[in-house]
Amino acid sequence: MQTDIDPKEPIKVEKQPKKKKKNDAVVGYLLLAPALILILAISIWPVFQSFYFSLFDLRLNEPTKSEVHLDYQIDLDRYLQNYPFLVGAINSEIDNGNSSEELTEMKTTLENLDASIKENPQAAENYDVINEKLDKFENIPDDMKYVEIDESVADDFTSSVKAINNDLMTINENGSLEKGDKIVGLSSALTEIVVEPNFIGFEHYKDNLTDQRMWKSLWNTTVFTFISVLAELILGLAIALLINKAFLGRGLIRASILIPWAIPTAVAALMWKFLYDGQNGIVAKLFEDVGLIDRMAMLLTTDTGAMFSVIFADVWKTTPYMALLLLAGLQTIPSSLYEAASIDGANKWKQFVTITLPLLKTSLLVALLFRTLDAFRVFDLIYVLTGGGPANSTETISMLAYTLMFTQTNFGEGSAISVVVFICVAIISGIFIKLLGAELINDGTGKK
Amino acid sequence: MNKKAGPMFYVFLVVFVFVVMFPFLWMLASSIKPLTELFGEKAFNPFTNNPTLQNYVSVFVDYPFPRYLWNSTVVATITTVYTVLVASFAAYSIARLNFKGKPIILGIVLSVSMFPQVATISPIYIFLKNLGLTNSYLGLIIPYTTITLPLSIWLLVTFFRKIPFDLEEAAKIDGASLWQTYWKVIMPLAVPGIFTTAILVFIAAWNEFLFALTINTADKFKTVPVGIALFQGQYTIPWGEISAATVVVTVPLVIMVLIFQRRIVSGLTSGSVKE
Repeated sequence: MQTDIDPKEPIKVEKQPKKKKKNDAVVGYLLLAPALILILAISIWPVFQSFYFSLFDLRLNEPTKSEVHLDYQIDLDRYLQNYPFLVGAINSEIDNGNSSEELTEMKTTLENLDASIKENPQAAENYDVINEKLDKFENIPDDMKYVEIDESVADDFTSSVKAINNDLMTINENGSLEKGDKIVGLSSALTEIVVEPNFIGFEHYKDNLTDQRMWKSLWNTTVFTFISVLAELILGLAIALLINKAFLGRGLIRASILIPWAIPTAVAALMWKFLYDGQNGIVAKLFEDVGLIDRMAMLLTTDTGAMFSVIFADVWKTTPYMALLLLAGLQTIPSSLYEAASIDGANKWKQFVTITLPLLKTSLLVALLFRTLDAFRVFDLIYVLTGGGPANSTETISMLAYTLMFTQTNFGEGSAISVVVFICVAIISGIFIKLLGAELINDGTGKK
Repeated sequence: MNKKAGPMFYVFLVVFVFVVMFPFLWMLASSIKPLTELFGEKAFNPFTNNPTLQNYVSVFVDYPFPRYLWNSTVVATITTVYTVLVASFAAYSIARLNFKGKPIILGIVLSVSMFPQVATISPIYIFLKNLGLTNSYLGLIIPYTTITLPLSIWLLVTFFRKIPFDLEEAAKIDGASLWQTYWKVIMPLAVPGIFTTAILVFIAAWNEFLFALTINTADKFKTVPVGIALFQGQYTIPWGEISAATVVVTVPLVIMVLIFQRRIVSGLTSGSVKE
């Protein structure tokens, strides 16, 4: 029983009889269950679904592509608005003795096709309902309109109807039909009622990987993440080192540090938009007076100006948070180490390099990990501050995914981008976790 | 830690606080300016001679701003209560009970907290749309689980671990059931940690933007961040009203931060620092 015990908590385990431990496990899993089920259903499952969606040509505003379907479908609504009239028109032509031989043959083919559609029970059921509704001029709901059919039926249908359409055109050109144009119109409408599956495999990825816009947005995201996190790290560390001492008004400092962190990013972005304004923005004016920019308007209307503005606002908002995390790390370093070092004659810089940095490594990496991931998925700041502009120069990868999905309603392609974001984030976390080792997860295990 | 702070240090502090607070101070100053002073030469004067509350009145009368505040309050409160409840069970289980697979579970929780929201948004949106839950409170509360649940589990595990194990042992010896131990022994001691977690979850839910923007598009169900962000019209930006709204949103946050700063800091730094 005591063979594979975590060495950190031997006393506790020894005390527990075997039965108790088993009981613990049952209760433990039971208590975990609600949280795990929620995480699985609302976080993990959607990631897989995103990937699944990215394999389809999914467009919410096009009825035939608004859902993923691997099967062939038939648009019964459209079919029934054409098929009966086509047969009716052909019948009257036959009655009038126009090319009756060919037309009779076509009619038989069409009737056979109709019968083969009705062989599908679902189709047969909806067939009559839709017919009734069409008689009353009612709207047909989408879920009734589209009925799955076998691929063979679909192929057969499309090829036969196309052949009939061609034949009719030829006959019509010879001028032997009374209402030729109407018949040709009806038959060509029938060629468009089969809805092909919108599964397209890795097309979206292929398109995106060769798309300038995708690479540009990935580059923008990288630039934004790298520069802002680096600036935040340096400034945050400097601030943490400076305020890591006893002084009056610590509480006030801490509170003022927390405020930029606490306000909604969207609101912060809006504030900066006001401060950066090309005509009335005080920060834009200050930058112009200092000589950082030539004209006030340059901040939000030029490529580099806009990127700089976004990074500056992000640094303002999150440096305090970084400083806070690093300060907490600094406070765990015993001051006796510094005392010993100064007795040994080590100067401040040497103390920083040999004591502070190595002991701060974990805090530093954790803070970097969280900030890098946060910066990489940046959305609200940019959405509100620049909208991705000017000319997509601040469009990040999350912005691109949003635009594709919700402005262009192209969910398939947008999902492909979001999968790319996910993979990037996984790679970044992987690198950091490798650097951190198991410390992150094991932190605190078995400690009192 | 025992280094003395000199006068230069306090100068630095004043400058630092001023720089950090500057955007707010400027918004505050702008919010009481009349419209004519928001533009042109007078736009750069920090103080106005004709202070007015017109912008505040306008925010509450001309815009559905009270509605946004109410929506945010409802969504953030319900999210907080339900997430913290579910997370506290899970965290108790991970922190206090003995069974296999805990590191894996904690690893999953941590990875999920790193998920970019944009990676889950398309299925969640389609799911909620099919259920008719877009433009509803539930439509935001459900997806907010993605953000808040891993965060709360992570924080609560750290807090639960700090409670001495002997107490539980003592309760067990006295014959208390696991349920009794949880409610009567651990819970009272965990209240500070749970409270801290609740504050952080509330702030996260209150500030969330992407889901709120895409799922609740009707004015009736917009939350504060989205509502304010969409104040800007197609051609004009009502800066006066925006500054007033910003102040209205920020002041309660400032008060909250002043009161709870210790808790917030302990929450933010727990788990990131090896003690």
